Amino acid sequence: MPNAEARRNMPGPLEVVEIQRTFLREVGSIFWFILNTLQESMERVQQGRAPFRAASFFRESVRAGVDSVPLVGLVSFFLGLTMALLTGYQLQRFGTERLIPGLVAIAFTRELGPLLTGIMLAARIGAAFTAELGTMQVNEEVEAVEAMGIGPLRFLAAPRMLALFLLAPCLSTVSNLAAVLASSLVCKAYFSIAFLYFLDLVKDSLLIRDIITGILKSFLFGLLIASIACYRGLTVKGGAAGVGTNTTSSVVTAITTVIGFDTVYNVVYTNFFPT
Amino acid sequence: MVQLRDVNMQFEGKKVLEGVLLNVQPQERLVIMGQSGSGKSTILRLILGILRPDSGSVFFKQYEINRLKRRKLQQVRQQIGMVYQYSALLSSLTVRQNVALPLEELTDKSGSEIDKIVDEKLELVGMLDTKDLLPDELSGGMRKRVALARGLVLDPELVLLDEPSAGLDPVIATVVDELIINLTQKSKATSIIVTHEMESAFRIATRMAMLYEGKIIEEGEPEKFKQSKNPVVAQFLSGSTEGPILEGSLDAIRKK
Repeated sequence: MPNAEARRNMPGPLEVVEIQRTFLREVGSIFWFILNTLQESMERVQQGRAPFRAASFFRESVRAGVDSVPLVGLVSFFLGLTMALLTGYQLQRFGTERLIPGLVAIAFTRELGPLLTGIMLAARIGAAFTAELGTMQVNEEVEAVEAMGIGPLRFLAAPRMLALFLLAPCLSTVSNLAAVLASSLVCKAYFSIAFLYFLDLVKDSLLIRDIITGILKSFLFGLLIASIACYRGLTVKGGAAGVGTNTTSSVVTAITTVIGFDTVYNVVYTNFFPT
Repeated sequence: MVQLRDVNMQFEGKKVLEGVLLNVQPQERLVIMGQSGSGKSTILRLILGILRPDSGSVFFKQYEINRLKRRKLQQVRQQIGMVYQYSALLSSLTVRQNVALPLEELTDKSGSEIDKIVDEKLELVGMLDTKDLLPDELSGGMRKRVALARGLVLDPELVLLDEPSAGLDPVIATVVDELIINLTQKSKATSIIVTHEMESAFRIATRMAMLYEGKIIEEGEPEKFKQSKNPVVAQFLSGSTEGPILEGSLDAIRKK
């Protein structure tokens, strides 16, 4: 009786309420985490001191940004290539293959570039942040920082959050350029669209608001991924197993949140600024 | 200097501290003894304000630690040095950077002043030649000494030490104990040391307290402690298996 078994395993109303409560508690905690980090950093600025070390900001920026360029570039290049090829064959049937450049450029700048970058950053950098801070938490390093009278949020979380916040749009731009470059190669090789003509078509179809939308999204995704990763890292409990659990949870939460926020953003944006 | 007034604390329903009363005088070295998991380290965390008691008050000088706001608490913590059981040195920073961290983050001293102080503190603990190494490249005893240097770098009025000689060989343990005595005497700091290593406790202490089942059951000078009639203290000091500690649970272990 697989149906009866499945019914028995379904969460009851009380469990659903508990799941909702946990979800809301988590959302609230991450929100407070961002606010507290900001508050701790601002207090430090008010004292006329830098909220964190410039060296640690640059180190995180290199790790999160510069070192992510090959991965983001390569994945976006392949995706741009595939997209141009598959859509091109369909459009060719109607003789409208000159729509490919615009299609790829708009899809990436507005949607796929920030989204792909967000997912890759969550997996690559979010996991690293959580594991690193989680290990520090387990080894009492975070508590030691706190015990010295140094705010752990501004000292440990703020440079990571700022690095990802600022570099996510840069990586998103790398993603867009790689995808457009890949589609230009496909257009030249399969659909006889010369490179300069390809650029004209991109310029004709791409609007400034598409670019701004993508960049704004990237800022938001960068902040969310870093906040979730740092929050999960600093709340690790239960030794090495806890680090593993929170790292997995960080990646899953960050990817889900990025996709969720992307949807909300699109719904709000298209409602308030319909094309 | 430090006062715990009727402090109660429980973790997940388990009572760890029950009405703890403790008074620490300036410049004394109070050793708190007790079994593993008896709540000794919890007392240190309460004094630092990392944990808040369920009820009761924790005072450091005129400050009621458990009522301080975050910003004030951070300022007060700068007068307290903490040395952790496993050193808790930041693994990504070198020995020098670890010791310099509180100075760089919390004071307006110039780079050369900081270098001078760091060298001075590292020399005091005999670790000057390791200043460019990472904590992973040091032995347990060396890490403890660096942690001690870091704990004392701001010349705190109160030093808290969590199991300073645990896991060290007897010679290094004596070195660390003597360092604690010399350094706290020199800086006129008050210190609270948590340990269950008897030799180390008697070497360091000017006063001792025994924590058992969440309560301070005995308090006094080391000599008075040695002659205590309290069966728990007597059993703890002798390390005997016969007595109130582990009563019942020991039979279960033996049966296995």
